[in-house]
Amino acid sequence: MKNRLKVLRAERDWNQQDLADALGVSRQSVNAIETGKYDPSLPLAFRIADVFALPIEAIFLRD
Amino acid sequence: MHPLFRDPAYNRYLKRFIPASVVYAGAIVLASMLIPDHAKASPLTIGIALLPGLACTAMIWAMARLLVEMEDEYLRLIEIKKALIATGFALGVAATWGLLELYTDVPKLPVFLIFPIWCFGLAVGQIWIKVRDK
Repeated sequence: MKNRLKVLRAERDWNQQDLADALGVSRQSVNAIETGKYDPSLPLAFRIADVFALPIEAIFLRD
Repeated sequence: MHPLFRDPAYNRYLKRFIPASVVYAGAIVLASMLIPDHAKASPLTIGIALLPGLACTAMIWAMARLLVEMEDEYLRLIEIKKALIATGFALGVAATWGLLELYTDVPKLPVFLIFPIWCFGLAVGQIWIKVRDK
């Protein structure tokens, strides 16, 4: 699944560790999601949406 | 530092795994000292010989609890993939060597080595995942 995590993170001037800390996950997890190696679970996707204050469909896009 | 080490579940894992591995090593030494080679099975010899097996089972339980308790879902997935690769590796070695034993006169593979072979499979899994993700 494609996502806009890297763009959204850059807009806020956050590095991967900043986002990982906000989500309570490892930097490796953020990297894996950003690069499309891993699709997050629904609870984690909701946490990501909460952190960016956006709906899930504005972050994760259909292939 | 590997991110897994920062997970509180990993500290709990160490608190379970290290004592179990110490008991395992001690029980192996104890059994080797107390039980002569080719001793007959008796309640005493079986009782002593069971100790390292039970400690080994405790180590496996500690590893299973780590998978259950890890909070980072991506790191947990990586550990589960490693365990699956290790399982396939150990089954493959056991099946292949078992057939070699059946049809040729190669030395017998002691069954207690399956767990160390499985642990070696974890390292194989780690390398495979690292290479694939590069």
